[in-house]
Amino acid sequence: MKAKFAKFKEWLLLPGGFGIFTGLLMLGTMILLGIIIPNFGPYKPDEFIGDPFLPPSWQHPFGLDQLGRDVMTRTFSSVGIDLGVAFLGVSIPLAIGTVIGILLGLAKNKYVLSLAGSLIDGINAFPLLIIAVAMLTFLGSGLRSVVVILAITNWARYARISRTRAVVVSKQNYIEAAKTLGFSRRRIVLKHIAPNVSSETVAYALSDFILVIVVVSGLSFLGLAAKPPMAEWGSMIADGRAYLAQSWWLVIFPGLALCWSAVSLSFVVEGISRRDRGI
Amino acid sequence: MLGNHLLEIKNLKIDVRVTKKRRLSIVDTASLIIEPGEIIGLIGESGSGKTMLCRSLVGTLGRRGAYIASGELKFDGIDLITAKQSVWNDIRGKRIGYVPQSALAGPNPVMTIGAQLAEAILQDENFPKSEVEKRSLELLNIVQIRRPETVLKQYQHELSGGMKQRVMIACAIAQQPQLIVADEPTTGLDVTVQAEIMELLKQIRKDFNTSIILVSHDLPLINEICDDIVVMHAGTTVEKIPSKSIKASKHPYTLALYNSRIDLVLPKGQLKTINGQPPSVGSWPEGCRFSERCDFVKDKCRTKQDLPLIEIGSNHQTSCLRYDEIAR
Amino acid sequence: MSVTFDSYGDVIKAVDHVNFVLPKGQTIGIVGESGSGKSTFARVLSGLQIPTSGSVTFMDKPIQNGKNTYEGALRKEVQMVFQDPYGSLNPRMRIVKAIAEAIRQHQGLDKKASRVAALDLLESMGISNLDAQKFPSKLSGGQRQRASVARALSAQPSVLIADEPTSAIDQSAQAQLLGLFNDLIKKGLSIVLVSHDLGVIRYLSDYVYVMKDGIFVESGKSEEIFNNPKEEYTKKLISSIPGRSTK
Repeated sequence: MKAKFAKFKEWLLLPGGFGIFTGLLMLGTMILLGIIIPNFGPYKPDEFIGDPFLPPSWQHPFGLDQLGRDVMTRTFSSVGIDLGVAFLGVSIPLAIGTVIGILLGLAKNKYVLSLAGSLIDGINAFPLLIIAVAMLTFLGSGLRSVVVILAITNWARYARISRTRAVVVSKQNYIEAAKTLGFSRRRIVLKHIAPNVSSETVAYALSDFILVIVVVSGLSFLGLAAKPPMAEWGSMIADGRAYLAQSWWLVIFPGLALCWSAVSLSFVVEGISRRDRGI
Repeated sequence: MLGNHLLEIKNLKIDVRVTKKRRLSIVDTASLIIEPGEIIGLIGESGSGKTMLCRSLVGTLGRRGAYIASGELKFDGIDLITAKQSVWNDIRGKRIGYVPQSALAGPNPVMTIGAQLAEAILQDENFPKSEVEKRSLELLNIVQIRRPETVLKQYQHELSGGMKQRVMIACAIAQQPQLIVADEPTTGLDVTVQAEIMELLKQIRKDFNTSIILVSHDLPLINEICDDIVVMHAGTTVEKIPSKSIKASKHPYTLALYNSRIDLVLPKGQLKTINGQPPSVGSWPEGCRFSERCDFVKDKCRTKQDLPLIEIGSNHQTSCLRYDEIAR
Repeated sequence: MSVTFDSYGDVIKAVDHVNFVLPKGQTIGIVGESGSGKSTFARVLSGLQIPTSGSVTFMDKPIQNGKNTYEGALRKEVQMVFQDPYGSLNPRMRIVKAIAEAIRQHQGLDKKASRVAALDLLESMGISNLDAQKFPSKLSGGQRQRASVARALSAQPSVLIADEPTSAIDQSAQAQLLGLFNDLIKKGLSIVLVSHDLGVIRYLSDYVYVMKDGIFVESGKSEEIFNNPKEEYTKKLISSIPGRSTK
């Protein structure tokens, strides 16, 4: 036990250790509460409990909202939604984009290369939120649409990273050595090129995760993703906006939860990047 | 003031702040004296501290969290340890020039060569702006760059390694410094280019009576170009010996370096290597730091703490305890 | 056994109409400065690059077949070691795994046996079992180069092409690597050594080709080249070696 603790302390002292630890701790707390409170707490997110606009109290630490629902339960039931959607919205583009990028990076056909290159750069030129809003108006709104749209558009960012990296990696000596050693092309791509490319795209995915959480909440705020009566930070903030002056708890708590999630992830990402850099 | 050496380093200790509490010594008791017009070679393996020593001469220690912990460092009588920024501004680039390692730094990639030379020339605030171009061409001629007018307009990536180094030398001599610190200036360059650059440095010494500290790990190179050789191991200067007497070295490390030269070995013959690795910074052994790799080692080598440089001949100093027993 | 080469260059004429022969059991040095085309030449010899014209034969068999080189059983015969120890090994693969992979490919052993064989091979190169389990980033430049040599040897080649193997490592690691090459030569390996370092070339080579701007300006026995250079360029090269100035 003591040895394990010593090892942990050593890990902590390395560059970025504190950041990663704090971030994960914060995130873990959020996720834990997100599991416990909605499922084992006394109230349900859409249950009408008491008088609307009841201020925070011992029974309702976050108060009640405009329809008498418990804000705390609602806030924490959003964790699964926001983090879950964001996870899908990142992992799907990650997978698609990385694969496409590798294929393109290794392709030798000039036409394929320029066509694909233009396509990727074209998609990447638009900020995510704008594209998302535009497409949601066509495809119809809702959380499912959001995930679909993210899958369709966000992959390009990963593909660009993956493609550049695949090109760089394929020129490295260890790939050439694999060729002279007679390794099959399949082996080279899967065992040598792919791992070295995905390390970059996964790193990007971590920071993208933060962005996507905020985008999903933002879209919900606009009424394009999660819609009432669904408990989701963005839509809660949108609903509660009108009452901000008198009943601040309708807005502040979901807002804080959103910040907390984003900040905790930022700590983790920053910590990882510090560790890579070695400061 | 009469009696001033151009550069005097005595028992210099350079430490680095690793964390708030931990300090590491990178250089420990380095001593070195240079007179005007001398070319001194500074040789050592990686980790010997030679680069840190150079940084202390141009005042760039602070950037790495390093600082001079003790000892003396005097340039033409001026104490560089306590020197304020204003004093350094007068010395760095003007009286002490610096030529970096060819593979690493080099001309600024976003400035034209002409712009950088101008910057070096205008370090002298009184230099008339109208004369800058003329002086730039003059400098490029001194470093033997052909078609200097074209080069002035070019960028760093358009030049070959050898040309880049010549430009760095031109910047370094712009203010006619008394001392040039050249840290591995030809490492990584082709051997013919290296020979030319060395000739250039010798010419600069001849024409301007500039002293040069040439840092390298290449003993044959240092042997050929330098007047005297200073050998560093694990942060300490262990011997100073005139180049031509290198075979009569009185320090086992220098001898080991000399004997491990590849050009001395018959083709496919037995290569002599120095046992072990240089001790890494922070884990220097007690006593003589070469003791674990030394063929001559005796018990007293491991225990004696203080190993100063002892004067044993004209211009020859060594820190080996058993120097008188080394027969050659 | 010989590797003969008669080629015409790339679009940029990296290598321009050269002839070259490697007799069995010999070490040939190709010396040239940067931009001389020696690395391109090395890559063509190892099959990594296809010459614009001309051919390479191994034991009188052409190595090229359409767009492929060294097909089938031929591939293992000629292996390569590169200059940069940092890019020569897969950063995400532990050393022992990388070598075991090569052994599995060429010696047909199963996973367990190839791992054991890999550890043995690495140990014979001076890399301890402990170090072999590490990732490349945790090893020194010299160790990485030796691991690359081990990997190349797993194929049990008859020819090793070494492109500037000592240029990026420090003095003592250099000496270790050269000693290693020496031992391999004694065991019968033929080596093509490409380098700009004349000391290294002189130390290992029986025969030397001097390359400049894509052509071989002079070639001959090692002692001849170093002690009695005939061409201007060769003379300039030799006299630039510190300590050998003819001025």
